[in-house]
Amino acid sequence: MTAGPAHNVPATAAPDRRARPARPPRAGTRLLRLHAASRRVPAAIAAIAACAIGLRIALLGHWDTYGALQLPLVFEAGAAAAITVTTASPIGEPERVTGRWLPFLRLVTALALTAAAAGALAAAGTGAQMAGGPLDVLRNLAGMTGFGLLCAAVLGGGLAWAGPLGYLVAGAYGLYTQWHRPALTTPWIWPARPPHDLGAAVCAALVFSVGIAVISVRGAHDPAGE
Amino acid sequence: MTVVRAPAASRPMPAQRGQLRAGARLLRLELCHNAMLWMLPVAAGLFWFTTYRKAMAMPPLWNLRASTMQSGALLAFVCPVAGAAAWMGSREARRHTADLVTITARPRWARQFATWAATTFWATVGYLGCVAALYGVTAQQAHWGGPLWWPAAVGAASLPALSAAAFAAGTLVPSRFTAPVVAIVAFFALALSTQLIDGSQSSWQISPVVTGPWDVGPDPGVGTFYRYLPDLSIAQVMFLSGLTLAVLGALALPNGRGVPWLRRPAAVIATAGLLAAGTAVALARTGKLDAHGMIAIPALHDAANDRPLSYPPVCSHTAIPVCLNPAYTSYLPPTAAALTPVLDEIASLPGAPARISQAAAVYRQGRGTSVSISMAGPLLSGTPPVFHMLLPFQLAGPAMTTGEVAAAVRSTAGPAIVASVVGDGPGATPAQRAVAAALRTSAGLPEAVLRSAPTRQRPSGAIVPLPVPAQAAARRFAALPASVRHAWLVRHLAALRSGRITLAQLP
Amino acid sequence: MNVEITGLTRRFGRTMAVAGVDLRAGPGVVGLLGPNGAGKTSLLRMMATAIRPTSGTLRLLGRDPGAYGQRREIRRQLGYLPQNLGYYPGFTVAEFVEYFALLKEMPGGRIPAAVAVAIERVELGGKARTRLRALSGGMLRRVGVAQAIVNEPELLLLDEPTAGLDPEQRMAFRALLRELGQRATVVVSTHLVEDVGAACAQVALMDRGRIVFHGTPECLAARGKGYGTGDAPLERGYSAVLAEARP
Repeated sequence: MTAGPAHNVPATAAPDRRARPARPPRAGTRLLRLHAASRRVPAAIAAIAACAIGLRIALLGHWDTYGALQLPLVFEAGAAAAITVTTASPIGEPERVTGRWLPFLRLVTALALTAAAAGALAAAGTGAQMAGGPLDVLRNLAGMTGFGLLCAAVLGGGLAWAGPLGYLVAGAYGLYTQWHRPALTTPWIWPARPPHDLGAAVCAALVFSVGIAVISVRGAHDPAGE
Repeated sequence: MTVVRAPAASRPMPAQRGQLRAGARLLRLELCHNAMLWMLPVAAGLFWFTTYRKAMAMPPLWNLRASTMQSGALLAFVCPVAGAAAWMGSREARRHTADLVTITARPRWARQFATWAATTFWATVGYLGCVAALYGVTAQQAHWGGPLWWPAAVGAASLPALSAAAFAAGTLVPSRFTAPVVAIVAFFALALSTQLIDGSQSSWQISPVVTGPWDVGPDPGVGTFYRYLPDLSIAQVMFLSGLTLAVLGALALPNGRGVPWLRRPAAVIATAGLLAAGTAVALARTGKLDAHGMIAIPALHDAANDRPLSYPPVCSHTAIPVCLNPAYTSYLPPTAAALTPVLDEIASLPGAPARISQAAAVYRQGRGTSVSISMAGPLLSGTPPVFHMLLPFQLAGPAMTTGEVAAAVRSTAGPAIVASVVGDGPGATPAQRAVAAALRTSAGLPEAVLRSAPTRQRPSGAIVPLPVPAQAAARRFAALPASVRHAWLVRHLAALRSGRITLAQLP
Repeated sequence: MNVEITGLTRRFGRTMAVAGVDLRAGPGVVGLLGPNGAGKTSLLRMMATAIRPTSGTLRLLGRDPGAYGQRREIRRQLGYLPQNLGYYPGFTVAEFVEYFALLKEMPGGRIPAAVAVAIERVELGGKARTRLRALSGGMLRRVGVAQAIVNEPELLLLDEPTAGLDPEQRMAFRALLRELGQRATVVVSTHLVEDVGAACAQVALMDRGRIVFHGTPECLAARGKGYGTGDAPLERGYSAVLAEARP
């Protein structure tokens, strides 16, 4: 076996490991869409829309005293529960050991759904006699969503609805005590406080912020086999 | 040659006793791994926050505590129970065990029944624990009477109905959104459906959170002079039991290949349940507010419950005894203290009441949702005369502290007692009015407002002010030493009441 | 014959997953081979009475699974391990197997012993009280096998039973299959031809919803003589049969 003529093979540069492959411009959108699909976000949006429509229909009726105040709270809790349930991951561990995008995806999903729910419920109350108004909606929804996100981090996304719904009962009772003294005045039961109450807004915002932060960084607790 | 293929030998069916034992083992497994177990702390926490604290802030009256417990406990348990039941109903789909369990021999309804029964068991245990805690503390605090079991029974009957409906929803729609949606709908249905109640003949009072006339609310005056009527509770239990049977029967109705022999019994059970529930709603519609503040349903009413309760009254050791129903023992000291000044003024006077006695209230349904509450019987009756009064909270209204009760008694019963002794009222002479004003002043009572007879122009009557000479006479009379005042009244009270004393004759 | 299938079909929407299968099997181990999407799982699910055939005749253990009473009797003598095993993570191994023993209507008095035997047979005796969430994938698979055999089934259907098992466990499992096959009909759907060769007396090869080969592993291997694709005789036979079956 004879050797062939030597060919000058141009030296190829060693690959630069630090260079990341250029991401196609639509990849981010596609990633977000797939993440949303994996979390049943479309179903959550449908549930939020159903809450808004239900609220609008319910506001057509005449509600007195604390019934009028409790009514929006029921639908706000429903929307918060729908947002909370989307934190459950059907994939589990394989997803957690991927790159850096997962916390951002969780953050964007939770924030976007909360904003959408606040907008939908506020719109549902526009032109109708909704007690508390949009400010109340935003505060209550954000606070209950934050509470639900914290529950998701502990209990898992599937059971996290227990948080917002348990808080709904506490909040409804707090509203009831405005008519049947002694009234609950703690800002941690923010639905029982007036819409412009700063302390209640701070408490709700704090819970929401902590919940968002925890769920973004840690995600929902993944029970094995789910 | 034909080959006869014999089927594989059948396995003998387990004996009846073995079936029961297997069923018990299946239930035990379900009990150990039921989501309701994890929801119990949530339910208990909500019960403590919304119901227990509120009940403990109320006077230790069984009727008040029981009605608060019935409505509050249900609202505290509805979300955890409905959510957990829907969660368990969707378990097979969520855990991808549908194929595994479907191909087993035990029928689907038996499997599902075990899961539902375990959920309901834990919910009931939690509820009964809460009832026991509240009733136990009340038993230590209450002065008279005993636990009212019908309100507790309504709550206990609600849980199987709630868990059955939620469980069925979970099996039909095994989505991660089903549990929260079902819990929200259940809460909405329970909490806000009471807004639809209109008067005491509304079908909506079949709702298990309704404990009596919804427009009156928890009433301390109910169930102490007359028995607590179980009519509405019986209808509610019938409704809830019917609902449970209907849902369980519908769950057992097979879809697809199913279990042929089960179809008919399941249909019968479902139909019977629906009929029972419908009948209960119709019965609730026939209910009406009775004179004692409770809902009476003619078809369920036991006339024996209309008899007044016999009780040993608790009385004060004042100049004239103040006697209350023993259920209100805790109000005796402030009531007696509020009335002592006026009782000291009129004690031993001819015609003065021998006793101040608490009376029962009478309830009347007005137009729409209005209810009027007044005293049964006259102010004074018997020989020697007994003065009857209602305690302020017997007229319903917001909860009152002990001090507020005392103040209200002083301002309403006190002047009325004075007026009954002196004869003050419409048509009274200036001398009578002056003496009554003086006695009120001496006893530290507020001024009584005298009104003329109602007219078309003034339906509530016009305020009749005390004439100036009478005011002066009242001041003179009040300035007398108590013993002198009392002695004069002993001698002249009969003449004063008959109108034969003039202002000038007053000392 | 414990399994008698004639012209069996199953359609899912527009997809004909099983397109006319004839199969007869008595006591022994039958391997079911085929590429992905060949219809093995659908066929197994029909034999497990989890889904109904679209058409054709199916008799299991001499009974018609279309009739409720007979179907219930079949299910008492049936063991099934699906490809994707669902489980309740809070259950222990013993509880999970006991749960299925109860669902299979085993006599109550026999259950504890049967559960213990089944767990020991899959070599999980030391893990009986361990919660399922704490088990590895291979162990979970063995738990699945345990629930399938707890009632000493006459008909045992296993879909990818050795997925996740290490070689030693696979050898033990093959021995178990051979033992079970002495009395019952065992149908094993697998991608691993070596499992078929080691444990199965009969092998059926499915492709596009039909059985394209039914015979002994030796016959399948013989079909591959002279065929170049495959590292082992059975693989070559497998490839050769598929190549012949496809246009």
